[in-house]
Order: sequence, then structure tokens, then C-alpha cells
Amino acid sequence: MRRREFAVLIGPSLLVMLGLLVFPLIRTVQWSFQQVSYGSPGVFVGLSNYTQALSDPRFGRAVFFTLLLTGIVTALILLVGYLVAVGVNGLGRLRPYVLGSMLVAYVLPGVVGAVSFSWLFDSNFGGVLNLVIERLTGQEFLWFTDTWPNRVMIIAHTVWHLLPFSVLMILAGLQGVPKELREAATIDGASAWKMHLYVIIPTMRGIVGFVCLITIMDVLRTFDSLIPLSPQADAIGNESIMFYVFDNAFRDGSQRLGLGSAVNVLSIVIILICLFPFIRDLLKEAKAKA
Amino acid sequence: MSSATDTVTPPPSRLRAAGHPAQRRRRRRRNPTAVVLLLALAVLMLSPFIWTALSVTKPTDVAFANPPVLGGYTPTFQAFKDLWETTYFAQYLVNTAVVAIISTVIALVLGVPAAYALSRFPGYVSAILLLLALVFRSLPRFSVVLPMYEISKSLGIYDTNFALAAALVAINQPFSIWLLRNFFAEIPKELDEAAMIDGCTRFGTLRRIMIPLMRPGILTAGVFVFLFAFQEYLTALVLTDTASKTVPVFITTQLGQTLPMLQQAGAAEMLLTLPVIAISFIAQKYLVAGLSDGSVKG
Repeated sequence: MRRREFAVLIGPSLLVMLGLLVFPLIRTVQWSFQQVSYGSPGVFVGLSNYTQALSDPRFGRAVFFTLLLTGIVTALILLVGYLVAVGVNGLGRLRPYVLGSMLVAYVLPGVVGAVSFSWLFDSNFGGVLNLVIERLTGQEFLWFTDTWPNRVMIIAHTVWHLLPFSVLMILAGLQGVPKELREAATIDGASAWKMHLYVIIPTMRGIVGFVCLITIMDVLRTFDSLIPLSPQADAIGNESIMFYVFDNAFRDGSQRLGLGSAVNVLSIVIILICLFPFIRDLLKEAKAKA
Repeated sequence: MSSATDTVTPPPSRLRAAGHPAQRRRRRRRNPTAVVLLLALAVLMLSPFIWTALSVTKPTDVAFANPPVLGGYTPTFQAFKDLWETTYFAQYLVNTAVVAIISTVIALVLGVPAAYALSRFPGYVSAILLLLALVFRSLPRFSVVLPMYEISKSLGIYDTNFALAAALVAINQPFSIWLLRNFFAEIPKELDEAAMIDGCTRFGTLRRIMIPLMRPGILTAGVFVFLFAFQEYLTALVLTDTASKTVPVFITTQLGQTLPMLQQAGAAEMLLTLPVIAISFIAQKYLVAGLSDGSVKG
């Protein structure tokens, strides 16, 4: 492909991304060094937004909670997603129904699913799950006002929402494992456990990595679901980083847009650190091609 | 759980038959425990909607009673009726659909040529661009959406379907390109060369050869982009006010209100859920086929 053709084909898309992603991003970086509100020019204040964010214990709690949620949810999603995908792959006529029912949780808007999910637990709205759990354990949990019960509920919701994506991806990946490879392993007397561990999972490394990556990015961004699931997020330490930004830079006017922008920049740094292994792999691949 | 394990254990003497798909399928034994567990899981995954469906068809006075009332009432569709008559739900539904459709079409028109170029241009440039796509895909939404809020206000397009659609195209562009590029990478380059020897220009090759071949891939990418646009809450929350509000934003504004309004929110959820259930049942077959055609191998 000639350079000119390449430029023409990719140009429009690149222009849109420059104008609507790169330019706003530069603005955010600018704002992070300013005392500023929407529509008015800001005043340069150096690093004070950053020091303010980093010394704010509320921000520290938000970072801790977001990383905790990301770690637990990603681990659960990879493990359960793989098991379910293998199970669904073995289904016959029932497969489209099972897969279809599971996909609903993923394709609905996150906030809508979260509202439904919260009603299952909320005694104010006649929730049924809180009653069942109360009967089974003989204990009453305050799902919306106690830190850990609330965390468990948020984790359950996030897994529920994102699991179908990983099942779908891993299921697609399973179709690509060469049959000959499985047969060869079976002939060599591999047990089911070893077959998965040494034959199937290594062939799907790319997909498992991809699922892991997307899940990490999605959980780090948690925002919508907390509105119905954790109405007192800040008070009980279950606020996500994005929620913190929203509260500071948008909800109550725009008083602290600079602080919010500084947190945005900081979270970009956190995300880049999380992505580092993937970025390194991609760069290695690029070097190999060059 | 694992059923890939009970697929086949062909004794060596019957190995010749193992290559025949029909015979292999017949020999696959299904594990009944796994089937029951998966069915239970499917019901569990649907349970929030089943529960919401029950809540919104109860009369308002028992809808949110604690402990829940499970029977002895006459189901009613009053909440749905109120939703249509007392709120601007129809308008919000149209907004949501318009934004999702426009942004899907534009995202594909921009993304397909870009992805094709990336899959064919050798070496370093493509890899770097893909890396950027990955980084942009993972940006915190607010870092681009808050500036967009200011820009759209100063351009006078705040609270329009157009502004929201444009924002969603940009935000989802990196993911669309990534997905499409992996589909294109599966199509052998020799096909391009053959077409061009036969007199096609580069653009003719894309239009006449690549796009028809890519139909399942484009469909898969289109479904994903449509769903992302349809699901988007944060961007819609920041970039819309009253005129171009979408259904997810509407539902959250109903939350802290009266019980009848809460029931209407539930009814709105149901009206949004039912088409989605239809879409996901129809789409799952194509998605698995489309994705396993190579989208995720890159």
C-alpha cells in the first residue's frame, strides 16, 4: 500500500480522533494546572490541584476501593468466565438460549442493570435476595450502608455485568483451538485438567489477555453502577475514582474543575501503569515486525 | 463443569473416523450436572429483570412492599400507561435510538477504511497506531467528556443528538478500528494483489472485494458499537440536558422520586430490556461466529 493511499484511508478517522479525543485531552491537562470553571479562562496555579488531590484522604479511599474492585472482579471474571465458556461450548440445542439469557446482562445499559440489581437487595423496595440471605445466615446485612456488604454487592453486580463478555470472547476463542491438538493430547493420555492447563489455555493466551485487559479497563472506569448501588458511596468508603471526579468537577457546579482534571490526569497514569505489560508486548511485536 | 473433556476419547483403531464432524458430534456425551448448573446460571443472570418485571406489574401499593408480595394481586400495566402519558419517555426513546444508529453508521464509515489501511500497511506505523487506539480506549471518560461539555456549549450544540453522537463516534472509534483491523488481517493480501492486477484501484478493492468479504466482521463491529452507544450513560449525562436526554439518564432521574415514578422507571427498564433480549438472542450466533473468525486473534 502506498503512503498516499494509507493517508487517505486513515485520514478521516484520525481527524475525528484528533479533534474529539486528543484536543479535549490536552484541555484536561491544561485545566489540571489551573483554578478554573466552565466557560471562563483559568488562572495558572502550578501543581496545587495535584497536591490537593494527593493529600485528600477521600481521594486515597477512592483509589484503594477502585483498585480492590478491579483486582477481585478481574480474577473472578477470568476464572468463572473460562469455566462457563467451556460449559456452554459443550451444550447442544440449549446453547443459544443459555448464551442469549446471559448476554442480556451485558448489553443493557450499566445503570439500568444496576437499578434492577439494587432492587433485589433493597428492603425498602421489597428486595427478595436480602430476605433469602437473611433466612439462610440468620443475620441481617445492611447492603447499602455497611462498607463490606455494600462492597460484596458491588462486586457481585460488576461480575454479573461483565461476565457475559468474557464468556463470549473465550467461547469464540475455544472455536479456534485446533481439533488435532486436542486429539493428540487425548491420545497421549492427558487428563481433562491437564488438557485445559497445558493445551487449551496456552493456545488461547491472546484472547485471555485481551479479556483481562478489557475487564481491567472497564472496572477501573466504574461509575454508573454506583449511583443506584451505593447512594452513600463516599461516606462508607466505596467511592470509585470516576465518582470522585464527577462529584468535584461536575455535580455541584464546576467549583473544582481543576481538581477533577488533576485526578483525571492521575488516573490516566494509574491506567497506563496497569496497561504496561500489554503495551510492552505490543511494542515488542512492533519491533519484531519492523 | 468441563464438557470439552468428555468430547472424544477415540481408541486408536477408530482414529480414521475421528476427522468426520458428524460422527464426532454423535459421540459427544453431555454432563447432566453441567447442563443443570448452566441453566441455573442463566436464570440467575436474568433474575434482576424477572424481579423488576414482577415489581412493575404489581399495583403501586404492594409493588415495593416488604416482605415482597408474591401473589394475590391483579397484574396491571398502569405503570407503562403512566410512563407514556405523563413523561417524555417516547422522546427519550427516539433520542436513544437516533444517537445509537447515527453513531454506528459514522463509526463504520470512518473505521472500515482506517482498519483496512492499518491491516495492510506493514510494520511499525500500524503497531504504534494500534497502541494509541488501546490507550485511547482505556482513557477515563471524564478526561475527554468534561472538555467536550465546554466545547459543545461554546459551539452552541450542547444538548443535541448530533453532539452526543459525535462524541460517541470518537470515543468508540479506537475499539471499532481495533476489532475491524483484526478481521481484515485474516483476509490474505494476495486477494488485494489479484484484484489490483485485474485493474481495481486500491479503493475499488476495498469496496468491491474487501467489504463484501468482511460482512460478518462489519456486522460484529456494528453490533458492538451500537450497543456501546445505546448503553452510554456518563457521556449522555454530561452532554445532554432535556431536549436530547436518553433513556438511561431518564431512568436515574426518576430514582429518588415517588413510588409511582419509581415504578415508571422500572417500566422504562422493561421496555428497554425486551428488545435487548431479542437482539442478544439473535446476535449471539453471529457474534460467536464473527469473533471466532479471527477478530480476537490479533
